[in-house]
Amino acid sequence: RGRPTSLHHKSALFSCPKELNRHENWSLSPEEFEIWDRLYRLKENDGVKEPILPRTQFETLGNLEETSKSEEEAVHKLSLSEWSIWQSRPFPTSMVDHSDRCHHFISVMDMIEVMRQEQGDCSYELELQPHLRIEDVNVQRSKSGSSVTSSA
Amino acid sequence: CGAVLQRLRAAVHYTAGCLCQGVAEDKGVLFSKQTVAAISEITFRQCGMSAWHAKRSTITSEDVKLLARRSNSLLKYITQKSEELASSNMEQKEKK
Repeated sequence: RGRPTSLHHKSALFSCPKELNRHENWSLSPEEFEIWDRLYRLKENDGVKEPILPRTQFETLGNLEETSKSEEEAVHKLSLSEWSIWQSRPFPTSMVDHSDRCHHFISVMDMIEVMRQEQGDCSYELELQPHLRIEDVNVQRSKSGSSVTSSA
Repeated sequence: CGAVLQRLRAAVHYTAGCLCQGVAEDKGVLFSKQTVAAISEITFRQCGMSAWHAKRSTITSEDVKLLARRSNSLLKYITQKSEELASSNMEQKEKK
């Protein structure tokens, strides 16, 4: 689209020392605004939809969060599941290590990937069944057998 | 230690199965065994770890509310449950 590469973007924003003195406000200086407007700001003729993050929604609770705008077609909702098959191994890091929670996520994605090949019986269930102690669980409703689901 | 973890996993898996069954009946869908297994493993991993890492010895209901701070609807739900629990505890004490 005739725009400079991202490398130029960086140099434009971060390497103008003579502007630094004036940069004491929270907002952009006129020079910074000009750079932002020219290099980064999404405009109609860019042909790119504005990126937005999906809002939290709780299926099982009343929703207090704002309902999203009706003009959602005009935006690009950033997806956290579109590339799920990439997520069963750690992605590279730069300065921030993966958190424990992130590693748990990766492990579960890997487990799902392994189970994807399974037909019917579930190896996870078979592995855990001998460890179940009935005093650990709340048995209220009577169930036929230990299996509560049917296979895929 | 491994055996204890597997026992906990098994209990979580069983309970996850019961809860999924409730949702399945509610929504008129079926959960595959693999889906229940994955939900159960996610639940297992979402628990314990943070509790074991907590430095304070006594975790209070305020700490629990803090876990829900990111979502208004979740925070409201947890706060409401916490109040219900507190008032029913009060009643119990008064009876004694």
